[in-house]
Amino acid sequence: MIQTIIQGLLLSGLYALIAMGFMLIFSIGRVLNLAYGAYLMVGGYVYFWLSQQLGLPQVVGMAGAVCVGVMMGLLKHLLIVRPLKGNHVAVEISTLILAVVVQAGVVLVFGDASKILLPIIPGVVNVYGASVTYNILAASVISWVIIIALFVFVRRTYVGRAMQAVSMDQKGAAISGIDPDRVNLITWGISGGLGAIGGVFFASYTQLSPSMWVAPLIISVAVVIVGGIGSIIGTLIVAHIVGFLEVFVVALLAPELRGVFTMLLIIGVLVLRPQGLFGRAEEA
Amino acid sequence: MNLRWYHAVLWLLFVAGLMLMPELVSKGTLRTMIFACYLSIFAISWDILSGRTGYISFGHPFLIGIGAYTTAILSKRFDVPVEVSIPIAVVMTMVAGLIVLLPALRIKGSYFALVTLAYMELIYQLTQVVRPDLTGGTRGISGIETLTRGAVNGYYMAASLMVVIAIAAWLLMRTRVGTALWAIGMNEESVRGSGLSTTRLKCFAFLASAFVAGLGGAFYVHYLGSIAPRALFDINFLFTILVAVLIGGAGTIVGPIFGAFFLVFLLEWLRPVLPGAERYFVYGLIALVIYMYQPKGIIKIVADLGSRLRGNAS
Repeated sequence: MIQTIIQGLLLSGLYALIAMGFMLIFSIGRVLNLAYGAYLMVGGYVYFWLSQQLGLPQVVGMAGAVCVGVMMGLLKHLLIVRPLKGNHVAVEISTLILAVVVQAGVVLVFGDASKILLPIIPGVVNVYGASVTYNILAASVISWVIIIALFVFVRRTYVGRAMQAVSMDQKGAAISGIDPDRVNLITWGISGGLGAIGGVFFASYTQLSPSMWVAPLIISVAVVIVGGIGSIIGTLIVAHIVGFLEVFVVALLAPELRGVFTMLLIIGVLVLRPQGLFGRAEEA
Repeated sequence: MNLRWYHAVLWLLFVAGLMLMPELVSKGTLRTMIFACYLSIFAISWDILSGRTGYISFGHPFLIGIGAYTTAILSKRFDVPVEVSIPIAVVMTMVAGLIVLLPALRIKGSYFALVTLAYMELIYQLTQVVRPDLTGGTRGISGIETLTRGAVNGYYMAASLMVVIAIAAWLLMRTRVGTALWAIGMNEESVRGSGLSTTRLKCFAFLASAFVAGLGGAFYVHYLGSIAPRALFDINFLFTILVAVLIGGAGTIVGPIFGAFFLVFLLEWLRPVLPGAERYFVYGLIALVIYMYQPKGIIKIVADLGSRLRGNAS
């Protein structure tokens, strides 16, 4: 039991980190970035390439992954989101196409077979009789550090507050002297970086494969839908609901049912309470 | 309806061209064309709902899969004759469409797309766990009774099914109901304002779309003879349908057919160069560039080009 609870806690931290980047884009542009999973995948593969194939230090691998993720986010905003000005359906469809393109690109470079990422920190530790790998522990701790840093950034800095303003009312923000376009660009960059670092941890938790982008995408969708728009706290809480749900289902029912309740959660919440459990009410 | 004599001529030419194909091309090309025909059916089904009303569905593999699985299970596990199992499959798909519809009446835009996507992933996971003795679990079902033997017969089957569906959809879209569906895509409030029940119209679009999806899925599985969850309930399959419609031209009947054939043959031409899943790299890039350049698809690009040429000539 304790083992399950601890695993749930650790996994939820990771899910919260993954969902953050997705939530930022959704709150600011009201756009579902269906290529978000691709950031995770590319982040994981860049880390794999730098640290395991080239043998560079792990920190370099992570930095490389974040850089590539930020670049992807910026490019996507400049090349796809900005030209399609505000057409949500078009952005969603083109990001879906992009995700498949990135997946095929990864197959082209690294091949179809899935790869095992060496643990970031090897070893196992005993916590109250439950064995926990240092790897997932580290992932979870770093996730929390990043989440807290993000929270402080959004609440305290000028750019963070500008992001909040744009997410509440784009026109109002523009009138107060904020360039929504620039804020959008910055957000896409941050989102890409968050996705990439989340991908490194997610890949070390599961494995690297060209189709690994779907599961985290669905998890982030669930977290953001249920947590509501523009709420870091809501995202955190729901990430824990999803994480614990998954761990308990695997432990008590069957491992194959892992994602079923996440899906039911999405459907149920969207049908009964489209604005999410913790979000602001929005007119459609 | 606003039908003209040249409509009939164009359709006849189209059908005649399709029916002549087995004389002109090799068996291998025919097999490619069979797949293109089925993809066209799925694309038309998607377009009836999403291309017209603007409610983007990410759940069409869900509908197609329900149709395919129903008939596969009935004919393989319970020895139900195909003539009975296919209609049952179509009805099942429409019922499933209604289940998807209930939430859709409340939610719009991106959220609707998400609900349908969630349904697809849900059914993917459930088919593997619930009653694996019926669904065959992860491995799926093989050895399903096929309706036809050989490439030529299979082609006639697929092509005639596609033609019937295409013409029916085309006629449907020229009625007042079709126009109303268009109008929902443009401005739902004003449709409601002019006294039409948008709920009933959306219901109808859903059922029509589910009908075509179920029919296509059922025939497809009886052509293939096998079925597996990862082949059906997959984002890549969804992607292929979506791209076929968008590249060809959403909101038309010829567009999805053209897009499906274009993409299937593009994949075939790429096979010698890039054998595996890498093909989707080129394929996706082409799709992305065309979509970014003209979201209304190749049909629109050709039409624009045509009017420009004519404008220069006169």
